[in-house]
Formats: sequence, structure tokens, C-alpha cells
Amino acid sequence: MRVQTLPAAATKQASILAGDWLLFAVSGLLVALLVWGLIGFALARWRRTRASDEPPQFRNNYPLEIAWTAVPLIFVCVLFFFGYRAEASVDALGARPDVVVHVDAYRWGWQFRYEGGPVVGGSAGSPVLGSAAAPPPQLVLPLGETTRIELTSSDVTHSFWVPDFYFKRDAIPGQVSSFDLQPDRLGIFPGRCAQFCGLDHALMTFTVRVVAPARFAVWRREAGAR
Amino acid sequence: MSALAESRVSPAARSDLLSWITTTDHKRIGILYLSTSLVYFAVAGALALAIRTQLARPGNTLVTPHTYAQLFTLHGTAMIFLFVAPFALGLANFLIPLQIGAPDMAFPRLNATSYWLFLFGGLVVFSGAATNEGAAAAGWTSYVPLSAIKVSTGLGQDLWIVGVFLVSVATILTAVNFVTTIFIYRAPGMTMWRIPIFTWEMVATSLLIFMAFPSLAADLLLLFVDRRLGGHAFDPAAGGNVVLWQHLFWFFGHPEVYVMILPYFGVISEIVPVFSRKPIFGYTGLVLAAFAIAGLSMGVWAHHMFTTGAVNNPFFSFLSFLIAVPTGVKFFNWIATMWRGSISFETPMLFAIGFLLNFLLGGVTGVMIASPAVDYMAHDSYFVVAHFHYVLGGGSLFAIFAALFFWWPKMFGVKLDETLGKWCFWLLFVGFNVTFLPMHLMGLEGMPRRVFTYPDTGRLAELNAIATFGSYVMLAGVALFVWNVVLSTARGEPVGDDPWGANSLEWATSSPPPEHNFDRIPPIRSERPVYDLRRSGGRAP
Repeated sequence: MRVQTLPAAATKQASILAGDWLLFAVSGLLVALLVWGLIGFALARWRRTRASDEPPQFRNNYPLEIAWTAVPLIFVCVLFFFGYRAEASVDALGARPDVVVHVDAYRWGWQFRYEGGPVVGGSAGSPVLGSAAAPPPQLVLPLGETTRIELTSSDVTHSFWVPDFYFKRDAIPGQVSSFDLQPDRLGIFPGRCAQFCGLDHALMTFTVRVVAPARFAVWRREAGAR
Repeated sequence: MSALAESRVSPAARSDLLSWITTTDHKRIGILYLSTSLVYFAVAGALALAIRTQLARPGNTLVTPHTYAQLFTLHGTAMIFLFVAPFALGLANFLIPLQIGAPDMAFPRLNATSYWLFLFGGLVVFSGAATNEGAAAAGWTSYVPLSAIKVSTGLGQDLWIVGVFLVSVATILTAVNFVTTIFIYRAPGMTMWRIPIFTWEMVATSLLIFMAFPSLAADLLLLFVDRRLGGHAFDPAAGGNVVLWQHLFWFFGHPEVYVMILPYFGVISEIVPVFSRKPIFGYTGLVLAAFAIAGLSMGVWAHHMFTTGAVNNPFFSFLSFLIAVPTGVKFFNWIATMWRGSISFETPMLFAIGFLLNFLLGGVTGVMIASPAVDYMAHDSYFVVAHFHYVLGGGSLFAIFAALFFWWPKMFGVKLDETLGKWCFWLLFVGFNVTFLPMHLMGLEGMPRRVFTYPDTGRLAELNAIATFGSYVMLAGVALFVWNVVLSTARGEPVGDDPWGANSLEWATSSPPPEHNFDRIPPIRSERPVYDLRRSGGRAP
């Protein structure tokens, strides 16, 4: 049986972030195992055997105390460095994106406006608004090319989350957030709103379809003509 | 002398209802605070069970989306504002004067005011459920514009604002009382470097309250002005800024996390030495760590906002990482306290050990999401839900039960049943981990928080079913605690002044203490006056 805990990364940026997940999860678990081990050892080794036990009454050990302050300090500085490096490269915006998409989140759907056309999007259906269930709106991205997302919201705060991209960014009214996506895997990836935005928040889904650049050009033409 | 001896046997205090309503005795106010917060806990826990039942399987239709939004909003609001923080204030109310050898708080009537503001603040929040459009439904964080009048039209949101505002005022007043009492009402010999660690943690907590809660109160007022008096602070169409709400909220909200954990670090620091028969290891280090955590926690608020794209992520990330260092110091000090000790496993110690094991995982995932690179995935997902429940449920809640079992004899003069207590611990420990461990994986499977349903993809269905089962096991644990209280009270076997062989001053007076706390204060020559007294055969050395 294969137990998969982390999703497979589907963009260049996601591979960097997935590497950090692995680093943080493994080092975190190692620290936890060490401390759990120390606690377990102390409990087993020094459990009270005679009611009259009077253990040694020591209360300080300055070299030890300095050590267990300094070593974790160095450790978290190293972790911070790796996290910082990953974040900086993921947040960096390319000078010339191949595609620019203005994403507008609203209660409860998504509009994807490609610069130079087309405009697609919609809602997966909202019982609250009385609209019937429909296939979720789809964002189509070209494989291997850099797509700039310009994200905003027209009502309340939402969040654009694609778990396979290891990434989310809030869609905030009155603010445009920019980030780059460079998909490196073909497929259809589920996406959803991550920031609670009201009654049908749970149903505010979309999908991302990554296609080869040639097919992307065809799709763009056909979708623009519709 | 004979009058004193007599008052020790019968405190001669009135115990009718009116005397409880009009009381200014810190012990009674403490017990009122504790029992009220436990009632709010029961309500918030019932809401959690409703949430878990709705999520037991994908596509469940037990509750409507609107009911679900009210459920998690009231669950979060009650657990945070009406249980975990006020329980600490109640415990500190009861303990601080006893631990420092004072007859009462510095401002007893102000103290009573705080309690009543807290009680009615909570009732005002819940009263929203009786209005036409129901209670507040914008989450305990109440982000704008979701909580703005255009979107949340109901009166429930206004009652939420007013109720939480009252609670925040109560909290600030209580912190004034704590700091004043600790600084100037200590008994002769009780220097600052001899006060128990719990009392030290309450100094740090109170300072955090001074800095953090005014920001919350201001945020709430601005929102109220926006909603009802035509303000535009958070209205982007009129030049307002919606991120401002988040800044003011988390400038309170992150220190609030430490308001909800520092007191419980104090509880653990009181209990571990007693059941290890050792002095607390690294007293000075623990105190410095508390203030380091408090100081750093004022500079990390925007790690709740990494995904807004509107804050300096590396700065807030680095300070968040640094908090792990003093927190680690505390862990190592507790382990060193047990090291080469003589450890026994009464119920308070079991819950303290449960705290250590659970909180550690919450700390580790906390360091993970302190990095924006990790948080981009985890933020607003069930991974974060798992993280903060390990901190506040696995951490604070276990320390709360440790405190209840440990100080119950001092408060009521009877001990809770040990066998039932141990069953209660194991049910809660297993139930807690079965409930919340799977939530880490739900987050990685792409389940966002605050959803009333989820698709039947991946392992979401089985993970949710496991979590829901765990929550029912926790219910059994809590029910067993209630049964324990009923049974032990009915049995009413009296305990002595010091049933655990403890260290700090509250164990030198009777159980329960007389209204004036101490007939006679033993000499205080270390941070363990009662231990010193025991060593000298009960006589003043």
C-alpha cells in the first residue's frame, strides 16, 4: 500500500515549495522524536519506586541552559534561510510573462480574463443564489510557459488555492496581487477558495487544466470566438 | 489566637446566592470565572460535536450552510474569548493572592466588575442566536468585508461585536488587577525572584493583555462605526482598507495565542516539580523565556497574513521562528525538572505529560508554517486547523484539566477520584489525537477550513470519519469528568492543607482557604516555602 502524504508538485514553483515541505516536515519530526524520546526516557527511568524517595534537589546547570538556547537558535536560523530562499524565488516575478490572466474572485465563482482574450469563468453552482450545480470554471494554462496571475476580488476576501501548486494567494477587494505560475505537468488540477467568504464558500471551486502550448493557442482562439 | 484557630475550622462565610452575586473575594470570583468558562466550554464543545457530525461523511446535509457558519463562528469565539483565556484569568484570580501571601486582589470591586462584564459579554454574543438572521456567521476572526453591513446584514454580527468588546474590557481590567497585586501585595519575604512560575507567567500575560487587547477593542469599535454609524474605515470603495482589519485583529490575535498559553506554561511549571519531587529546573530561564515569548509575540502578527501579499513576509517569518527558541527552553527545563526525579503518575501529572506530548507537535507544525514557503500550502487549510488545535486543545485544554485535578482539593476541600481521573485522561488523550492528527492530512489533501462539506476525493471521507469518531471519544472523557465531580462532591472526603506534597504558598493554608486566606504566613526563604516548612517538620525553621 502506497501512502501518499504530500501532493505531487505541478509547477516549477511548486517543486521548490515541496522541497521545503519535505525539509521542514522531516526536521520537525526529528526534533519531535528527540524530545518525545527524552520525555519518555525520563518518565520510564525515574518513575517513583519507593514512597520515601528524595531525589537530588539540583536546580541549575548554566552551560547546559546556554547550550539548549544557542543550538535551537542556530537551527531555526538555518531553517529560516531555506524558507526565505524558497519564498524569494517563488514570489519573484518574471520580467516578461508569456500569458497574463486577470483573475477576479466573487461570491461564489471565478472570472479568468486573459489579456488579449478570451474571458472565461463562472460558478460551480450556488444553492444560496439558486443557481444549479455546473462544472467548475476552468483556468487553462500552457505547459512550461510563465503565466502571470493578477488576482483581485469584487466583493469580499477570497483566496486562490491549487493544492497541487503548493500555493495560495488571497484575493482582496481594492488590491491586486501578482504571482507567476509555470506549470510543468499536464493534467487537470482542482482549485478552490480557501478564505471563508460566506455561505457557499465550500462550493467555490475551479479547475486548472494544463495543456501543451500549441493546444493552448488553439483553445484560446476557439474560446475567443465563442 | 483562639479566634484565629476557630476561623480556620469554620470560615463562617455566607454561602447563599446573594453572597455569591455580591462577592468581592478573589477566591469566589475565581471560582465564578472558572465555572462560567467551563459552561461556555461545554457549549462550545457541543457546537464542535455538531460540526464534526456534519463533516462525518462527504455531502452530509445535517445542517444548512448558514447554521454551519454560525456553529464554527460561535465555537471559535466561545473557545477563545469565553473559555481558554477566561479560565486562565479565573485560575489566576484564585491563585495569585494565595501564591504571594496576600489577603485579596488589589482592587476587589474592579475584579468583580471584570467577572460580570465577562459573563454578560458572552451572553450578548450568544443572544445573537435569538435574532431573526441568527448569530454572527463571519468566523471568530470576523474579516471585513464579510462582516460589513452590506454582506452580514443581521443583528447577530453587532451583538458579536458588543459582546466581544465587553469581554476585552473585562480582560484589560483583570490584567490591571493582576499586575498591581503581584507588584505590591506580596507577603514579607516573597521577593519577585521567589514568586511561583505560574504567577510570573501571569505578569507576562498581563503585560501582553495591555498591549494587545486595546487593538482588538479599537478594531471592534471601527467595525461597529462602519456598520451602524456610516464609517468607511474598511470600505475600499470609499478609500478604506480591508487589510487594516487584519492588521489590527492579528496585532491582538497573535499575542492572544500567548495569553492562552503562557498561563498554562505556568500550570505545567507548578505541577511537574511536585510530582517529580524536585525544584523547578532553571527558574530564571523559565521567567526570561516567558518574557522573550511575550516580547517576540508582539512582532509576529502578520504571519497570519503571509498569503495577503501585503506584508513583509521575511521579517514576520524570522521573528516567528525565533519564538521557537524560548519555547524550547521551557520544554528542556521541564524535562530537566523530571530528570533524576522521583516521578509519580497522579491525574494532574498525567494531564501535564499529555500537555507536553501534544503541545510539542503543535509547536513543530508552528515552526513549519512560520515559513511562508510552507504556509502558502497550509494557510487556511485543515493543516492549520490541526496545528492550532494541538496548541490550544492538546496544549491549553490538557493543562486546564491538569489544573482542575491539581487545585480542586484547594478550592473545594475534596479530592477528585483518581481512578475516574485516569480514565478521563486516557479517553481525552486518545480521543484528542484520533480527532486532530488526521486533520494534518486533510489539509494536505486540499481541504480548506470552514467548509460545511467536502468532495469525496482522495482519503477525505475516511480521514473525516476517523476525526468524528475521535470527537465522540473526547465527549466520553468530558462526561466522565462531570461524573467525577458529582461523585467526589457527594462523597466529600476532606483533604488536608497539602494533599500532593506541594511547594508553593497556597498549600500552607486550609482547603478551602478562609476568607482572609492565611491565619499565619510561614517564613518565605525560597520559591518553595511549603517544601521548606515540610523539611523543617512543619515548624518555622
